[in-house]
Amino acid sequence: GAKHASTPADNYHLARRRTLQVVVSSLLTEAGFESAEKAAVETLTEMLQSYISEIGRSAKSYCEHTARTQPTLSDIVVTLVEMGFNVETLPAYAKRSQRMVITAPPVTNQPVTPKALTAGQNKPHPSHIPGHFPEFPDPHTYIKTPTYREPVSDYQVLREKAASQRRDVERALTRFMAKTGETQSLFKDDVSTFPLIAARPFTVPYLTALLPSELEMQQMEETDSSEQDDQTDTENLPLHMSTDDSGPEKENASVLQQNTSLSGSRNGEENVIDNPYLRPVKKPKIRRKK
Amino acid sequence: MNRKKGDKGFESPRPYKLTHQVVCINNISFQRKSVVGYVELTIFPTVANLNRIKLNSKQCRIYRVRVNDLEAAFIYNDPTLEVCHNESKQRNLNYFSNAYAAAVSAVDPDAGNGELCIKVPSELWKHVDELKVLKVHINFSLDQPEGGLHFVVPNMEGNMAERGAHVFSCGYQNSTRFWFPCVDSYSELCTWKLEYTVDAAMVAVSNGDLVETVYTHDMRKKTFHYMLTIPTAASNISLAIGPFEILVDPYMHEVTHFCLPQLLPLLKHTTSYLHEVFEFYEEILTCRYPYSCFKTVFIDEAYVEVAAYASMSIFSTNLLHSAMIIDETPLTRRCLAQALAQQFFGCFISRMSWSDEWVLKGISGYIYGLWMKKTFGVNEYRHWIKQELDQIVAYELKTGGVLLHPIFGGGKEKDNPASHLHFSIKHPHTLSWEYYTMFQCKAHLVMRLIENRISMEFMLQVFNKLLSLASTASSQKFQSHMWSQMLVSTSGFLKSISNVSGKDIQPLIKQWVDQSGVVKFYGSFAFNRKRNVLELEIKQDYTSPGTQKYVGPLKVTVQELDGSFNHTLQIEENSLKHDIPCHSKSRRNKKKKIPLMNGEEVDMDLSAMDADSPLLWIRIDPDMSVLRKVEFEQSDFMWQYQLRYERDVVAQEEAILALEKFPTPASRLALTDILEQEQCFYRVRMLACFCLAKIANSMVSTWTGPPAMKSLFTRMFCCKTCPNIVKTNNFMNFQSYFLQKTMPVAMALLRDVHNLCPKEVLMFILDLIKYNDNRKNKFSDNYYRAELIDALANSVTPAVSVNNEVRTLDNLNPDVRLILEEITRFLNMEKLLPSYRHTITVSCLKAIRVLQKNGHVPSDPALFKSYAEYGHFIDIRIAALEAVVDYTKVDRSYEELQWLLTMVQNDPVPYIRHKILDMLTKNPPFTKNMESPLCNEALVDQLWKLMNSGTSHDWRLRCGAVDLYFTLFGLSRPSCLPLPELGLVLNLKEKKAVLNPTIIPESIANNPEPVNSTNNHGQSVGFQNTFSNSQEEEEIDMDTVHDSQAFIYHHLNMLERPSTPGKEQSSGEMSMHPVSAAPLSVFSKESNSSKHSDHHHHHHHEHKKKKKKHKHKHKHKHKHDNKEKEKDPFAFSNSPASARSIRSPSLSD
Repeated sequence: GAKHASTPADNYHLARRRTLQVVVSSLLTEAGFESAEKAAVETLTEMLQSYISEIGRSAKSYCEHTARTQPTLSDIVVTLVEMGFNVETLPAYAKRSQRMVITAPPVTNQPVTPKALTAGQNKPHPSHIPGHFPEFPDPHTYIKTPTYREPVSDYQVLREKAASQRRDVERALTRFMAKTGETQSLFKDDVSTFPLIAARPFTVPYLTALLPSELEMQQMEETDSSEQDDQTDTENLPLHMSTDDSGPEKENASVLQQNTSLSGSRNGEENVIDNPYLRPVKKPKIRRKK
Repeated sequence: MNRKKGDKGFESPRPYKLTHQVVCINNISFQRKSVVGYVELTIFPTVANLNRIKLNSKQCRIYRVRVNDLEAAFIYNDPTLEVCHNESKQRNLNYFSNAYAAAVSAVDPDAGNGELCIKVPSELWKHVDELKVLKVHINFSLDQPEGGLHFVVPNMEGNMAERGAHVFSCGYQNSTRFWFPCVDSYSELCTWKLEYTVDAAMVAVSNGDLVETVYTHDMRKKTFHYMLTIPTAASNISLAIGPFEILVDPYMHEVTHFCLPQLLPLLKHTTSYLHEVFEFYEEILTCRYPYSCFKTVFIDEAYVEVAAYASMSIFSTNLLHSAMIIDETPLTRRCLAQALAQQFFGCFISRMSWSDEWVLKGISGYIYGLWMKKTFGVNEYRHWIKQELDQIVAYELKTGGVLLHPIFGGGKEKDNPASHLHFSIKHPHTLSWEYYTMFQCKAHLVMRLIENRISMEFMLQVFNKLLSLASTASSQKFQSHMWSQMLVSTSGFLKSISNVSGKDIQPLIKQWVDQSGVVKFYGSFAFNRKRNVLELEIKQDYTSPGTQKYVGPLKVTVQELDGSFNHTLQIEENSLKHDIPCHSKSRRNKKKKIPLMNGEEVDMDLSAMDADSPLLWIRIDPDMSVLRKVEFEQSDFMWQYQLRYERDVVAQEEAILALEKFPTPASRLALTDILEQEQCFYRVRMLACFCLAKIANSMVSTWTGPPAMKSLFTRMFCCKTCPNIVKTNNFMNFQSYFLQKTMPVAMALLRDVHNLCPKEVLMFILDLIKYNDNRKNKFSDNYYRAELIDALANSVTPAVSVNNEVRTLDNLNPDVRLILEEITRFLNMEKLLPSYRHTITVSCLKAIRVLQKNGHVPSDPALFKSYAEYGHFIDIRIAALEAVVDYTKVDRSYEELQWLLTMVQNDPVPYIRHKILDMLTKNPPFTKNMESPLCNEALVDQLWKLMNSGTSHDWRLRCGAVDLYFTLFGLSRPSCLPLPELGLVLNLKEKKAVLNPTIIPESIANNPEPVNSTNNHGQSVGFQNTFSNSQEEEEIDMDTVHDSQAFIYHHLNMLERPSTPGKEQSSGEMSMHPVSAAPLSVFSKESNSSKHSDHHHHHHHEHKKKKKKHKHKHKHKHKHDNKEKEKDPFAFSNSPASARSIRSPSLSD
């Protein structure tokens, strides 16, 4: 205890320990010692404290083992038996003549656990729950306050809602796009009522026209997963991905690989496809051409 | 030179035979859009004195020609570059068409001609006399080709491969000469070696087997070596180079598919079906696919959707689609099947001459039809046949006939086979595109007629025979002289048919192949109760243009109470009435089932019938075994029975169309019942929707209940619990999908008593749009949404306008406001989430044009013009251009017309250029008999220039320009031009004509004919006609000739006929007459130099004068020429072009 105890809890513990020291000292006196070194007393105190703590811990375990919350006498007895203590000697020892009586340690300020905020009255146990069970927690931990109405499950309303929601989103989105970009109008005098996003030509117009949009792809995946395999193929397309200086051989090999894997997967028994477009490109023969 | 087509087999028009050709393109630059390479032709002379070799070549710059390594002189002359020289002020289409046909003839490889003429070096003459092999080596380059090869180079960052730049060969009929020198004929077969050196990141796809791919020394490029050992015509050679993604067909490893970057998933899905088409054709033809490999290439900016070449086909990339797309799937599959059919007939088997084209198109179209029948079912097939039949009938009646097998050069050419047309049908390159598509359509229909006659089994045997002959021949060496067996001719084909079937189909051929025109039947009947006989009257109209008389058997099917009976009537010269005995004597028995044609027995409610007659319905030619149009009269209840109980979809469709004329509750009920019947063919149901809308409109005052089809739609497609909300989309059942798409479109055509679309219907459609929910659907709903927009557009009626007020937002009709709201939202959403092929944008643009046209929105082409720009998807551009074309017509806008014409000249996409002309022709801003401020001299000049020289790189485009010119101005000199005669005086208001006082007395002096100057237009037309000289009598009548003067001219015309160019053209091939050249060049020089800035009328007057003097001389000259011609078939110094100008006097004046 080199440190100064300051909190009430620490004070409490110190007081208990002092009491234990007194107990140890009196037991020593009882056994005939006249004086003892401080360190010895301390060690014995430690031992005593451990012993008592162990009794408490074990007793708690036994009682919880039998689904109770508070230890009974039998728990203590079993504990002591388990710890190798002869319980039968205990009453005799308690009644020995030369024992010294120690006054109870002064009850100093009991450490107060800060009171949690309580909201409302705790619910009493219903009749079927035994009284020893823990109390209900504070109401605020389980009470709900509904803040919305019952969800509608009517089909018509749902469809109506989905439709108008989509329409609103679309309108807002397109209006936004129209506001932020160039527009065209059907009326010379009014450009805002029916704003049309200006037509912009593409460099490769067929791509947007033919490839399904991301939304549709998603849909397709949801409705039919068999197409999924195909889509991943797009990721490593052979020819157009290659940059200018990537080795042509490597590139060709990837074509080969990809195509064989692709068609091989469909008819597994025939793995080697002899197609002239899959064959590797030959190296030029030196001085062959005139 | 007059080649005989006959039993003797093929005689080449050339004095040599080509055996092998090497094409080597060693450099191709996408930046400069240029190609450098050489060709080497191996030829065997077939005559001893061969000293000139004529080849085809257009656009190519030829650097050097060597024959057997000796430098050879050559001359390049292409008269089709500028058809009419000497900027004459002719401007009449008759003149042009003749000149154009002559120019094409002058380079026609099938007549042994060509643009490139190579002199065989004199050192080799001896060699040639021994008929030894010659190797002609030509170095050439091609810079920014305008036709034949099309470069697509997107304007963006990155190298060419990253940009997806590609190039491909394209064109219509023989167009290979546009990209390398060759004998551009379908009848000159040879083996090929093709080499292309391209960037290492690119793939070159071409005909035949890819033998190897070799890097160049710097490893930056690679060379693709192709060998085509099957003898093939140059016109069937093709090329596509690009950074293609490669897909080996998982079912057939010798088939390879190519597409542009990023489209591989679509390619996989699209081509996954192809092997079934292969199987089908190989099975019915009992013949393997003739080439050792097949390649499909999908490219952007395609010239046509499908182009078939030897062992490869080039498709538009827009045919690619994912599994989510319903509508495109059958269309794309049809394209694939078509391309494959043409591999057998068209590529592998080629034709002897242009007049045999119908056999190839017919057979490929026919086997494609068989594939359709197997794939889509008999209903779809019959529907398609009916559709094709209706189309060809309508076209022939409109234009005067399509001739499948024109025979030229035989005897006196008074009967020019196509005198009713404004173009020559002697060459594929002079044909109007529409004519050519109709030609193909007729060809396959005629094949079907032949099948009807000889049975399908024999038909397939004939095909098999042709193919096996050809495949035997193809494996032979050139020396065996067997290669010509790979060419099909009309006579060979017919002989095969008679050998195999033992049947004589000559009458059929005579009727439908050697002769143009269709049959027009009018039928009506009466039932003679006493005799129990059906008196059928069948009349024919064979005097209108495009018709012909039919004599022969005709099947009539009569459905009586006792069953269905076929009768074969013999249609003869004078018999109109036919008595057909009826079987059902009894009046109807109660509760007796009626047997149908197919053996089914059904219960019918017979209360609607005429109590005295046992006839339920009558059909004339139910099998469509005559190319005909039938107008048949029977009572409404008979049509209703026919619709309900006849099982043939064609009969059902006919009944629906007939019922439009009978707006009664009974018709309504019959149509509604059909609509609801799920076993009924979906196209019939779709057609019933539109008929029901029409009937409802006719019965609007007595109509009871909700608007037509509304409750039906609600029952079929809306929720049970809340009928105003449509179910979430589920398009698994395609039949109901198509019906769901169509019904709103038809409903929107409903009108109430005020001739407005009922509010209820509009709100209904708006609700469909609002509640449309595709989240749970396996398929895309873009076509459905597009049709809902079409429905909105259909609901629009003309705005009520007071005093032509200006359209502003404030006076916008509230219904239109709602519609506009939807269109705006849809169109804007397309920018963020584009739909497949932008179908929704297309529908929106169309709808906006409808709103403009109906006066709700100010008419303004600016929006459409922005969407028509290059860089938008092609469907969008076409829709936008269509709106601009329509605007040009409605608002008579000169500015927009100019804008369109500029695009025709400058747009990078050939198809767009073609399509604009096509749309302008179909929806012309004015026609020849119409007064229009747009019709002025500048426009005439512009269009004339366009067809004369501006479109020489694209046959199709030039013919399109000719079509437009014909639609706008007719055959003769455009009426808006100042006249060479006194009529000019009245044309002052067109502020073009300045009167030259000196000319008036002169003209009167020189003009013996009285000139009635008060009647300028009609007269001028007639006048020009006579001078154009190849006009038929009807044409003149047609062109509103009112006065006697025209009559006189007409007779003059008749007198002149012997020397008409038409005749000369036919009697000899395009040939040149050095003799007549002299006076002529004097003449043209004179006319050219004479006061160019002067008044046109002056010119013409002079022409006329000159001609009068020259006329007789000319006749003599021509006689001379004919003799001269034989002597000097290689009038070398005289170019074909000058030959044409030689002819010009007789033509031009």
